[in-house]
Amino acid sequence: MKLKGLPAYKGVVFGKASLYLPREAAPEPSCNSQTESTEEKVLRYETALRRADTEIEKIVCAAGKDDTEQKKIMCAHRMILEDVAMDEMIRNAITRGKSAANAICETYETFIALLQDAENQFTQERVSDMRDVRSRLLRCLSGEEEQSLSHLPEPVIIVTKELYPSDTVTIDRENVLAIVTETGGITSHTAILARSYGIPTVLSVPHITEYLSEGDELIVDAVTGCLYLDPTQEEITACRKQQAAYQKEKNVINTYAAAEGKTPDGIRIQIEMNISNADTVREEDAAHSDGVGLMRSEFLFMDREQLPDEETQLAHYRAALEKWRGKPVILRTVDIGGDKQLPCLPLKKEENPFLGKRALRLCFDRTDIFRTQLRAALRASVYGELWLMFPMVSSMDDWHRAKGFVQTVMEELAEEHIHFNPAIKLGIMIEVPSIAIMADQAAREVDFASVGTNDLCQYLMAADRMNPEVSAYYQTFNPAMFRILRYLAQCFTREKKPLGVCGEMGGDPRTALALVGMGIHMLSMNASAMPGVKRVINNITAEEARQITDAICEARTAEEAEAVLTVRLAALSEAELAERRSDEEVF
Amino acid sequence: MYEKRVTIINKTGLHARPAVVFVKTAAQYKASILVSRADKPGTKVNAKSMVFVLSLSASQGTEICITAEGADEQAAVEALAALTETGFDEG
Repeated sequence: MKLKGLPAYKGVVFGKASLYLPREAAPEPSCNSQTESTEEKVLRYETALRRADTEIEKIVCAAGKDDTEQKKIMCAHRMILEDVAMDEMIRNAITRGKSAANAICETYETFIALLQDAENQFTQERVSDMRDVRSRLLRCLSGEEEQSLSHLPEPVIIVTKELYPSDTVTIDRENVLAIVTETGGITSHTAILARSYGIPTVLSVPHITEYLSEGDELIVDAVTGCLYLDPTQEEITACRKQQAAYQKEKNVINTYAAAEGKTPDGIRIQIEMNISNADTVREEDAAHSDGVGLMRSEFLFMDREQLPDEETQLAHYRAALEKWRGKPVILRTVDIGGDKQLPCLPLKKEENPFLGKRALRLCFDRTDIFRTQLRAALRASVYGELWLMFPMVSSMDDWHRAKGFVQTVMEELAEEHIHFNPAIKLGIMIEVPSIAIMADQAAREVDFASVGTNDLCQYLMAADRMNPEVSAYYQTFNPAMFRILRYLAQCFTREKKPLGVCGEMGGDPRTALALVGMGIHMLSMNASAMPGVKRVINNITAEEARQITDAICEARTAEEAEAVLTVRLAALSEAELAERRSDEEVF
Repeated sequence: MYEKRVTIINKTGLHARPAVVFVKTAAQYKASILVSRADKPGTKVNAKSMVFVLSLSASQGTEICITAEGADEQAAVEALAALTETGFDEG
């Protein structure tokens, strides 16, 4: 059987499926539920309770002495598991004739409903803990082992509904051959993980977890986005061919890892990295990049109960500046909104968090958070070339206001005789269409700008990038995107101000080519995307890129624009492979 | 039966760590202990149940009523009341 999904990171992989369904409640074993006596059911419940408790104990012990967020959560889970009132209710339900699993489900449902009604937000957050504990207890009842991606016994293809941020941190990189998910678009957590670790991945394959069983052989062709379940001999042969061709191409691409981003006609393109934490970036990747085009600061706010203080932030920013030794590091001020629930910063749930009080809007409201971050950033600015960028700027007012805050903090630091770079570059992230339309005005005032193409596309096309139902409407290749980007490039070129792109479009060799054609000379991306982009830049002149860009801006549909770029890239691969073949023949 | 009313003074209210301390303390006594919000006397819940205590949504400034019945009822109520009145050492 052949199924189709959305390729997020290329590669062709043959392997065994491993189903990862950690948050699913295990089904009740149908066998003994009728014949089992009440005593047997209670005994099974008690055994499950002990097993669940032992599992939690193990996690708590593994956390060691550190009072980590995970440890605190697990301790809360134990309190729920051992709750006397719930225990009593489960036992009563079993005595009344319910199966152990049904008794657990019912009781947890009752208590979850109780907490959901609570007025307090802290209490409502405990609901997700209750669900976790319920899943654990039900799984223990069914006798299944706990699943985790942190220690895989052998190389496998992970098949799952969707990965969660916690999975992406602990995943066993060595043994994950490929990832297949049921949901998620190209900007989901799974996709970001796949790209940053270079794991071949196919997303949005409906019901795939139901089609496959543990250990089933399958082929993941993450070049075309096809999956082959129980493949025929012909399919195997075709995939082997595809795999060899892809590997060959990848080898060619990797020869550009250490190359400079320079077109054959001599235009230097800065190839920069998108990072969260400088400590997790490999030294060689840092050395092969021209700086950091986007340093996200959100992770500093995750997994902690207290807001990160000035010293903590300073240490992180300083580490990045020292790692890139004088190359520019663009720090984006915190981009948090109602879509993320943070223990250190409880926010009101919003109907439409991406159109709500997020990023800069939140900072204007919580000036304490903004001030601390600006102080830390300014203090870090003496350790290297720090540029400061504000996300979610929607009008010139936002820019003026943000700049005013920086001014105030600078005065504060000066009064305290604390050193900082008073000439620090201040810029904006362009992701809201209104500021893109005002780019001529913006380019006059800001020191630089960077386009967040993921959000720009979702706001421009009015398509939620996390919603698979509308993924067809989220068109990064829509000519409207290219036109707006071309306009931005014109405005910034006129004012001789740097303009970069730090969204996914900067890391896709096809769109990168178009961006270069517009005159955008700063592209920021994940480490794994750098060689592919450098290769395109080194082989196609800026002049030819300009002509291609003009053509795609005149295209009528996303499909037409994408085809122009895809064909040009295919021609490049063809030419390079032909060159290699003739080299091989000579030797 | 022994009963006492106290006001929650700590910042977090009866959530997170303070709730854990409250429930663990209650569990040390044999008496059956109920707790309710003074403004909602109908919602008496088991003080030894973490989930029930959380469901009260008792935040800073809320007055709660602690009732116990059993051999050590007075000691239980006094211990829980003292804990609440000192803000669970949270300040």
